[in-house]
Amino acid sequence: MSSLTAQQRQSLIDELPRLKRFCLSLTSDPSDADDLLQVTVERLLEKGMPADAHVAKWSHRVCRNVWIDEIRSRDVRNRYAQSEGAVEGAGTTAENADESVQLDRVSAAMERLSPEQRAALVKIAVEGCSYAEAAAILEVPIGTIMSRVARARKALIEDLEWKAEREA
Amino acid sequence: MKDDSKNVVDMDGIRVDDDHLLSMYIDGELDAERTISLAGRLKHEPALRARLFAMENNDRLIGKLYCNQSNESGRDLASLIQTDNVAIFKPMTRWRELAAGAIAASVLAVVALSLTTGQSTFNPMTMDRSLAQALERSPSRASGWEHLDSKREFRSVLTFPAADGRWCREFMLAHNESHWRGVACRDEGTWVNQVVGSEVFLERETQYRPAGAGDIEKVARFIDETASDVALGPQQEATLIASGW
Repeated sequence: MSSLTAQQRQSLIDELPRLKRFCLSLTSDPSDADDLLQVTVERLLEKGMPADAHVAKWSHRVCRNVWIDEIRSRDVRNRYAQSEGAVEGAGTTAENADESVQLDRVSAAMERLSPEQRAALVKIAVEGCSYAEAAAILEVPIGTIMSRVARARKALIEDLEWKAEREA
Repeated sequence: MKDDSKNVVDMDGIRVDDDHLLSMYIDGELDAERTISLAGRLKHEPALRARLFAMENNDRLIGKLYCNQSNESGRDLASLIQTDNVAIFKPMTRWRELAAGAIAASVLAVVALSLTTGQSTFNPMTMDRSLAQALERSPSRASGWEHLDSKREFRSVLTFPAADGRWCREFMLAHNESHWRGVACRDEGTWVNQVVGSEVFLERETQYRPAGAGDIEKVARFIDETASDVALGPQQEATLIASGW
């Protein structure tokens, strides 16, 4: 496979902010997202892509595969225990519902979503993609995007309502 | 709480409830007829309206969360991408630092395991000049041993590239009928042991006891997790050695 053309390089640079958000939606951790983005870019530069490849789709696919490789090799239980600890901290320190507290709660609730739901919701709610655009980038049917986004929003509401009741 | 199942509708063969309808409404993905119907319901159903506002508020917070964090990349990847003649120097990521730490811990664990077996006080981790020179110059072989010093014999097994850009070699050491298998990587001209395990060793004169599966598995697992490509063939390895790595 040939290395990246000049146009592909520029397209990849333009795609970086969306790719970064995708990394964050997969990892739900800013440090991991940075590492995932860097390793994804390294792999794209090393392996290149076909001349007619859709840069956004190709880079998202490589990113997903890099993340799958990474989670296979790390101790997921330890990380789950760490994220549980972080959630407990966010739930018990809040006294009032100012925005920074709300951000903490939403952040913790987002971590509890599946990576697929998180990625779909970020594509739609943050990047403003249509269902068709998100389906093309993530390479799933449009109905799957609809379902994942709706379930993610439902899960967030119910998760945050439960937390509020517990603290009341 | 309202039973959403009472408002489950069939949409193109998919059963969707109010949450699905609200979600599609927010995203502008509902058709005109269902949009009008839902808008009518929102006027007269406070609970439905409250749920819509909650979804929209969460969306707003998620937008803040992700836009803030995605603006703080901290690494100049754009420059890396733009470079015409890209030599991938693989700047350290946190993942690689964690892997290096895990490797150091596994080395200590394996050495502790080996030393507590009571079979030998020989420390296989001694990366001295003799071992380093053998790693630097000796071609890999399937059998036979190379005399290293008065105490040890050496055989290089294979050479492979690591994901972080270093060259690594699997090798074997023999000492007093005991065999050790390990991996060392070349770090800016210096060979550093990464993992070592005992393979077989002498127990009660001539009775050989194979090492526990854990030791050799550690070596195999390290190679599996570290290697970025297959091992070099004999000619590639010879060229690499001749070029000074």
